Amino acid sequence: MSVEADLMTRYCDGDAGAFRELYSRVAPRLVAYLQRMSGERATAEDLVQHTFLKVHGARAAYVRGADPVPWMFAIARRTFLDEARRRKRARVQVSGGDGRLPEVAAALDGTPAADGGAAASPDPDLVHAALSALSRLPPAQREALILTKMSGKSIAEAAAITGVSAGAMKLRAHRAYVALRRALAAVGVGGAS
Amino acid sequence: MSAGGGEGESPRATDRPDAGSGLNSHTDGIDLRLEGSLSALAGATGEAPPMSGALAAELDGLAPATMRMPRRAWAAVLVISLFYALGLLAWMGVRDDLDRLPAMWLYGVGAVWLAAFLAIGWLILVPPRRQVMPRWRSATALAGLAALLLMVGGLILPESVATVGATYAPSVASVFEHGHSCLRAGLAVAVVPIVVSALAVRGAVPVGSRWVAVAIGAAGGALGGLILHLHCATGERFHIGLVHGGLIVVSAALAAIAARVGERIRWARER
Repeated sequence: MSVEADLMTRYCDGDAGAFRELYSRVAPRLVAYLQRMSGERATAEDLVQHTFLKVHGARAAYVRGADPVPWMFAIARRTFLDEARRRKRARVQVSGGDGRLPEVAAALDGTPAADGGAAASPDPDLVHAALSALSRLPPAQREALILTKMSGKSIAEAAAITGVSAGAMKLRAHRAYVALRRALAAVGVGGAS
Repeated sequence: MSAGGGEGESPRATDRPDAGSGLNSHTDGIDLRLEGSLSALAGATGEAPPMSGALAAELDGLAPATMRMPRRAWAAVLVISLFYALGLLAWMGVRDDLDRLPAMWLYGVGAVWLAAFLAIGWLILVPPRRQVMPRWRSATALAGLAALLLMVGGLILPESVATVGATYAPSVASVFEHGHSCLRAGLAVAVVPIVVSALAVRGAVPVGSRWVAVAIGAAGGALGGLILHLHCATGERFHIGLVHGGLIVVSAALAAIAARVGERIRWARER
């Protein structure tokens, strides 16, 4: 049983401390995901509160021992879509309205965090260009890339969260990646031809 | 991250958007830099935001919740639905030509109706191991297959069955005229399994809720079809195919509409 599954089970058994621990483990991941979707940190934090309220209200639907994280991501996504509909926003931007970049991943000492290799020092121009290209992707492709490349979800998890088949998710993410690569190559960023 | 994909699939190392595409086979140059940019755009996860007052208030005096037990829920839905359906059948009456029907047809088609009800219900109510969300995609596909099979099966009704039951002139008007009472009876049977299944799966379907409704409606329609199979003595091909077989489609459509209406009411309340 995963740590989250254990915490969720204890929370459903009435342990408020387990809920706080679960919140501290999952909320940052949800904030990061929703921030990428909405482009606004404050909105993302607000949506996370709504998401956890919904999780709390639906906790009787939880199955003992199951991994609650994909379910929570799916609830967060639903909450985000409801909010977007409520605001009557036809197209949700990845970047904020003020045009600033989202926070860059950073280690505790302030250096950029990454998996390693050259990815540890991204070119600022390339980051800006990637952000711009990302915001121009069709929403479904953008979401696929956000979940698989930026939220660390597998294809199967991303498919379960969004409610599409694994094949469709893989295709969307691949197309998004190729489109992003082409867009960056077209503007000649990063030495691409 | 532990496994948690839908439909019983487990994430794999190769389960990435660029796996097998060749994009990662030469991660020098633009690909590597693009990966770096995406990582940078991913943003820091950092600390959890402070809990809102409403959320903190929910934790005061937190009571234990009875967690969902999918297999038990499925069994409960099964028992309640069958008890109700058989009660309705007893009230409406069993067809009087039962002993003259070919046993193969009677038991074979009855088994298909029952299997459709059980299997669709299982897929909707019992999620894959260590997952919360139901297999609505498989359930919907099975519902479509069952509808097709039972409609086509009715339309190519064997002569030995068609000659036993009562017949009428096969026209669109007569199918509607004779079909509406069967449709009403079948939908009356379907109501209870639909309602209890919806209650059992409530809260577990943040995605695909309309498709879940379709599958639940189809399961209810399958049970309705089983009761019609035992109640209605009509041997007309279009009646069996379009009305009895079509009950799955009608029931699924009505359940989807009901889910849509429920969704709109929820949005209106939240607004």
